[in-house]
Amino acid sequence: MAFTLYSLLQAALLCVNAIAVLHEERFLKNIGWGTDQGIGGFEEEPGIKSQLMNLIRSVRTVMRGKKKN
Amino acid sequence: MAGPPRRLARSPQVGGHEVRDLELRGVHGAGMPASKRRVPVSQPGMTDPHQLFDDTSSAQSRGYGAQRAPGGLGYPTASASPQSAFLGDPVSNMAMAYGSSLAAQGKELVDKNIDRFIPVTKLKYYFAVDTMYVGKKLGLLFFPYLHQDWEVQYQQDTPVAPRFDVNAPDLYIPAMAFITYVLVAGLALGTQDRFSPDLLGLQASSALAWLTLEVLAILLSLYLVTVNTDLTTIDLVAFLGYKYVGMIGGVLMGLLFGKVVYYLVLGWCCVSIFVFMIRTLRLKILAEAAAEGIPVRGARNQLRMYLTMAVAAAQPLLMYWLTFHLVR
Repeated sequence: MAFTLYSLLQAALLCVNAIAVLHEERFLKNIGWGTDQGIGGFEEEPGIKSQLMNLIRSVRTVMRGKKKN
Repeated sequence: MAGPPRRLARSPQVGGHEVRDLELRGVHGAGMPASKRRVPVSQPGMTDPHQLFDDTSSAQSRGYGAQRAPGGLGYPTASASPQSAFLGDPVSNMAMAYGSSLAAQGKELVDKNIDRFIPVTKLKYYFAVDTMYVGKKLGLLFFPYLHQDWEVQYQQDTPVAPRFDVNAPDLYIPAMAFITYVLVAGLALGTQDRFSPDLLGLQASSALAWLTLEVLAILLSLYLVTVNTDLTTIDLVAFLGYKYVGMIGGVLMGLLFGKVVYYLVLGWCCVSIFVFMIRTLRLKILAEAAAEGIPVRGARNQLRMYLTMAVAAAQPLLMYWLTFHLVR
């Protein structure tokens, strides 16, 4: 079967890398998922899309924070 | 030399110590004789609701240490009589006390550091089980259709230990079931002449990887749907670990009686786990009103219902996926 913990680790690493390399200006803004396009709905429950955008932004911030030093 | 009083006080293998616990606490009929740990001395309604096992923190172990010290001191003197003069010396008494305080400090340091990485105290709650609980829970896993009340009892805002409530999640059954699954997989492979020792590790790793993937996927979807739930990660691991019981049953029956029986037993266990998961998760994920059976309309509740159904439906799929290659 060969689905081991190591392959899970590899997959997780690749996913995080994929999220980190999404280009802000060329891609995310064009599909409306930019970091400044989502924050607004504080009076209601955040929907799935805004949660996803938040998640992507957080992952990218954490990854960026580790790079810059 | 400084060790004996304290080690005797804390070792769980000394049978006489259990009796002394009962005497000290004045417990009336609370104790099921613990098969693996010391006798639990707290009941719901007694003074400390957070006490699962005997408290081995400094205050009480010092009490035990003082209690045991005469016995401890007596023990080396009885066994090593030429050293009795040496032990009676006040300087060596002081040295022993100093050494024991050093040992206590070291123990505190180690405990504090370990607690930072593995929440040991929280894990203790999940292993506070006894034989009756395990029996009832296994019965519930195979036949959840007649059970009426699925709500976990609370006691002053903390959930009651699994020993006292059959609905509470525990980690004992999933851990044991996982290990048994790996062994049964080895057995099944052996009967088909496909066994080699590294395959055991591969099976264990594979099952763990699927479990981790499930936990991550469910945590991600719980985050996306913004469910305010008290379902902790360890709870989730416990619930997801219950399917190993059905898997073991299916594979064993399949080994004994053939493929048809394997499919029958696995099908039965799959349906049981499906119902079990839905009834358990419904109370944790869905809103209060919906959990009581009143269909609450609304997009959010519908989403939560889909999430519960998806989690429950993933269990039979994984049960089949992880066992079908073992029964040929």
